[in-house]
Amino acid sequence: MNFLMALEIGLREIAAHKFRSGLSMLGIVLGVGSLIATLALTDGIEKGTRAFMEQIGGLESVRVLNKDISNQNFEFWNLSPGRTLLDVEALRAQAPLISHISPELYLPAVVGSEEGKSERRQVRGVFPDSFVVNKHTLTAGRFLTDLDIERATRTAVVGFTIADELWPDVKPSEILGKVVLINDSPFEIVGVLPRYERDIDARARADKRPPRYAGRQGRWDPFREKNESVNIPFSTMFFEFRSGAFPMNSLETVRLDNFTIRIGDLTRFREAMEQARAALDVTHKGVDDYDLETREEWFDRMESSVRATRLSGGIIAAISLFVGSIGIMNIMLASITERVREIGIRMAVGARGRDIFVQILIESMSISFLGGLIGIAASFGLLEVLSAVAPMDNPPVTTLGAIIFSVFFAVLAGFFSGIYPALRASRLNPISALRYE
Amino acid sequence: MPLVELLGVSKVYRIGDQEIRALDHIDLTIEEGEFVSIIGPSGSGKSTLMHLLGCLDTPSAGRMVICGNDLSRASADSLAAVRNREIGFVFQSFNLLAKLDVVNNIELPLVYAGVPTHQRRLRAEATARAVGLGDRLANRPIQLSGGQCQRVAIGRALVNNPRIVFGDEPTGNLDSATGEMILEIFRDLNAAGKTIVLVTHDPDIAARSRRVIEIRDGRVLREYAP
Repeated sequence: MNFLMALEIGLREIAAHKFRSGLSMLGIVLGVGSLIATLALTDGIEKGTRAFMEQIGGLESVRVLNKDISNQNFEFWNLSPGRTLLDVEALRAQAPLISHISPELYLPAVVGSEEGKSERRQVRGVFPDSFVVNKHTLTAGRFLTDLDIERATRTAVVGFTIADELWPDVKPSEILGKVVLINDSPFEIVGVLPRYERDIDARARADKRPPRYAGRQGRWDPFREKNESVNIPFSTMFFEFRSGAFPMNSLETVRLDNFTIRIGDLTRFREAMEQARAALDVTHKGVDDYDLETREEWFDRMESSVRATRLSGGIIAAISLFVGSIGIMNIMLASITERVREIGIRMAVGARGRDIFVQILIESMSISFLGGLIGIAASFGLLEVLSAVAPMDNPPVTTLGAIIFSVFFAVLAGFFSGIYPALRASRLNPISALRYE
Repeated sequence: MPLVELLGVSKVYRIGDQEIRALDHIDLTIEEGEFVSIIGPSGSGKSTLMHLLGCLDTPSAGRMVICGNDLSRASADSLAAVRNREIGFVFQSFNLLAKLDVVNNIELPLVYAGVPTHQRRLRAEATARAVGLGDRLANRPIQLSGGQCQRVAIGRALVNNPRIVFGDEPTGNLDSATGEMILEIFRDLNAAGKTIVLVTHDPDIAARSRRVIEIRDGRVLREYAP
């Protein structure tokens, strides 16, 4: 007996008992539905988190942080100047695997327009590398350049929120050339950064819906810092707001408020970190008052939380599939009891035990396969309901791989639940089966 | 070489610690082209004998050779293979599959013989016409009369061109006129060279054959030509 024939018999049997078959499929439908939904949710979270990580600098970004000195170095704490411009020079000279170095000075300042609007904001003195390290793009104008540093020009590149606050309803290209007052010192705006936001908020805005979390105070906006940034040349910051002279001969007097570096080639990450440490150990005179903060731990933590979610969803789906397969087994056992005579007839005309076995097995696999197909539809419904009841940060991503994976497991469940009934059917004695009433 | 050869065949059933000897040292030979009736009251062992001859079962003791296959100790699979190739069954209660139409019922043995779909259909349709069901191909058993059902069953028994056709009380569920027609078909088949074995309790039907084997208490009581 060939496969198609067995399939045809199986489908006819299912069609003949639509309600019963539907009931027995239910567990599989739910199992596959929840499995696909779980995978879609976790894939969504993973994708969203990855995109966010990518936008805040990705794995390549490493922050140089201040650290409390360990006890054994405690008495030498004053040997180290801390994070200074000297570190920048040392990294430039001795760590070729570090592609970008972004030291920053911070100034909490009143940022205002000539029209009289003002806000308290953090102003940053940056090098051009800062725009690369922080993965900035532009809507209008240009970034700060080496020439701006060299000449200590009075120029500024502002984030979307700043531009929107000071000059609402003015196009970014028209903001260029306007004057922004930082603690009453005038700076010319040469660049405007775009509005950074998550996909889901961008979509909500495009649909003219209120942002998903509008009104929910205290919710962390991952892009707030980028959108609120006011960037001026590092040198200008130093001259204007820190000291009278830029001390090129004693760089270690310029202490940094923030210090981020970028690894050029991620495949040589470890090597690059060692180079950075070697250079910084010299400038810090061997005092362990700094630390390199990589995003690796973030990624690991994120991935393990996604894994945990996936696992718990998977277990629920597996239980559902298991219950479903017991349901199918039950139905198949009932079905063969009902069809003992049919099996006897088939055996009398020459069906071997294995023909009957294959027929019953294909029947139960067909039920579970159909259940799986319905489960695909169910998963979309489930995701709709879930996102209506509990809005998600990250929209779910249903992949073809997840669908195939889930349906495969459904068919596998059908296979295992069919084995016992099929074995029983194939071992029937043809004589007693023919006599069975 | 005889088509069927039984030598000292016994069949013993065990129910609890009771031993039931359904067949007791039967010696029987059937040649190709014979028309044989096996007759006996119920409980005589004639059904057990037919199950053995029909390759539905194996003997407890003795030697059984059917169509050149020694099936004394055969496995279920080799029995099934012989059943499929060499034997056609016609049952008292037709034993058709209610969910299948005439053609699908008739082609059933071909399914298990591994005949490709298209060929299977052609052969089943030809057989249906041969047993006089040419205009009923797409009907289900429930839409057919008893006589027509038995014709479907005969078609199914013949479609694989077996060497022996067994009839197990084939007229038992039919009125006498229809039964007569079915017996006519069996006689025609025999005239065309098929070996026919009828199992019945009715001496009148047995009288249609050319050799009658009477079974009682698991033994051959007598053998005669009517």
